[in-house]
Amino acid sequence: MESVKKTKLDKKMDIIKQKEEAGLLENKSQNRALRRFFNNRLAVMGLIIFTVILLATIFAPIICKYFPQKIDMLNRLQLPSSEHIFGTDKIGRDVFARILYGGRISIFVGVGSALGAAIIGVLIGTYAGYKGGLIDKIFMRISEIMMSFPRIVLVLFLVSVVGQSLWNLIVIFILTGWGSMYRMTRAKILSIREEEYVLALKAFGLNDIIICYKHMLPNALGPVLVNITLSTAMFILQEAALSFLGLGIPLNIPTWGNILNIAQDISVLRENWWIWLPVGTVISIFVLSVNFIGDGLRDSIDPTQQG
Amino acid sequence: MISYIIRRILVLIPMLLIITFLVFLGLEFTPGDAVSYMVSPDALANISQESLNQLRDSLGLNDPFIVRYFKWIGGILKGNFGYSLSSGVPISEIVFDRLPATLELSITALLISTFLGSILGIVSALKKGTIIDNILTLLGMLGVSIPRFFFGLVVILFFSLRLGWLPVGGRLLPGREAFLDTLPYLILPSLVLGLTMTAGVMRYARGSMLDAINKEYIRTARSKGLPEWRVKLIHGLRVALSPIIVLIGFRLPMLIGGSVVIEQVFQWPGIGREFVAAVRFQNTPLVMMIALLFVLVMLTASFLIDLLIAMLDPRIRLE
Repeated sequence: MESVKKTKLDKKMDIIKQKEEAGLLENKSQNRALRRFFNNRLAVMGLIIFTVILLATIFAPIICKYFPQKIDMLNRLQLPSSEHIFGTDKIGRDVFARILYGGRISIFVGVGSALGAAIIGVLIGTYAGYKGGLIDKIFMRISEIMMSFPRIVLVLFLVSVVGQSLWNLIVIFILTGWGSMYRMTRAKILSIREEEYVLALKAFGLNDIIICYKHMLPNALGPVLVNITLSTAMFILQEAALSFLGLGIPLNIPTWGNILNIAQDISVLRENWWIWLPVGTVISIFVLSVNFIGDGLRDSIDPTQQG
Repeated sequence: MISYIIRRILVLIPMLLIITFLVFLGLEFTPGDAVSYMVSPDALANISQESLNQLRDSLGLNDPFIVRYFKWIGGILKGNFGYSLSSGVPISEIVFDRLPATLELSITALLISTFLGSILGIVSALKKGTIIDNILTLLGMLGVSIPRFFFGLVVILFFSLRLGWLPVGGRLLPGREAFLDTLPYLILPSLVLGLTMTAGVMRYARGSMLDAINKEYIRTARSKGLPEWRVKLIHGLRVALSPIIVLIGFRLPMLIGGSVVIEQVFQWPGIGREFVAAVRFQNTPLVMMIALLFVLVMLTASFLIDLLIAMLDPRIRLE
């Protein structure tokens, strides 16, 4: 019954045919995954927002004339104005400056932890997936044990053991985050191991390390990239939540979570919306953009997962 | 089936041993005298040095490490979790005191996210590719991107502080016990926790519904000449809903993690808030015990879920 009516796809095909006949189709030598990524509107939007916020935090000293730690008791709790875009907080610090400088730390923690966790997880996962046996079993058990803790509970547990500092937090995030990277890489390597080229490499008598890291790992990198992106979003959210609880990065360092910490005070929550509402919005938008990028990457690398 | 259960339990035991061992190790490295959390502070207050040594002996604090570990486990099995460092109250008492509040909040949030998530997910799957689907997907992305506590703060600002409809936080006025009295306090926190978990459920439900309506038996049902709504809602939905058990399982860590943060935002007197306070005041025994409790809950739940899945799907049992 549908054969008569032209579907959406048929129409698309017609347009492509027309273009082809007119010789309008450009030569597509570009990477296919990359092209698919750039055809995804949300992903491109995410990338733009991500870049804008990232650049704004990097060039914070140029964009904004205040220092995030500069106390100005004369101008306390100012409403947003042309002088102070997001107003000032309880001790006269410029909120906009704090958001920009805080973003540096928050983004650094997010990206750094995700990269750290990925490096450890991928290095172990590749080898363990390829070799199997005892090493694989041991790491599998360790990651199972870590995953039996709800993540924030494990993080808080570790914070209570090692204490609060910027680097401690990153180490804790890496410790709690490598497990999922490891499992994913391992699963991917396990399926690559069955391919014939691996057998051929083995027959050549190549060293195990070279086979798994040089010849197998590159084929598993796609999902790793997606996972890094999505973990970055997760770590930024976690840092914000922990700092909000007052248990993340020490309060004297401005981070997105630390700025929000003040909103636990009910009078600030009620009267001084400009101190906490903008920064929460910035976190949400930034994390959303990272998630868009991650989803776009996933769809472009592995179209079968597209829903 | 029985052999499957036994195999699962055999895997669980070494894991429990390792986790409890880690917790015990943490307690060992806690600065301060171990006596202080093994004996109630009242008893400790009027005690001489000599009898303290005797006490250490009788408590087995001078035993080798591994012996102490197994004694400690034995104590836990009997319900002796030790004492909180700050208040001197037995930890088991604190936990039982706080548990009802946490359960109340979690179960409500679980119900909200289950219903809302599956309904929205199914709608999204049936309307795949339309504006409704796109909007729902976008909302879902937004739901996982907004920090939970920030969402909570915004909600408090609007519904409690500006509109004054609902209380800012807390759970019960003193002397009030009935469920209806808690209801106004419960609405905001459970909605915030439930809504932030809805996104994941929605995504999952959409996927499994799409999966189900592309199966052969759906084509069969359709070729029998059944009306379309019947095909989708009765034949498709039934299969799509069966993974809902798995869904509860994977939301459990989210639920615990979420309640830790949300309880703080809404001053909800549950275990999560107690946990945060314990971490903040370096009350290590309490931190360790609550963490252990969370892990036990997770392990038990995942064990039960595995059993349920094995009961539903015979293929798993045979592996």
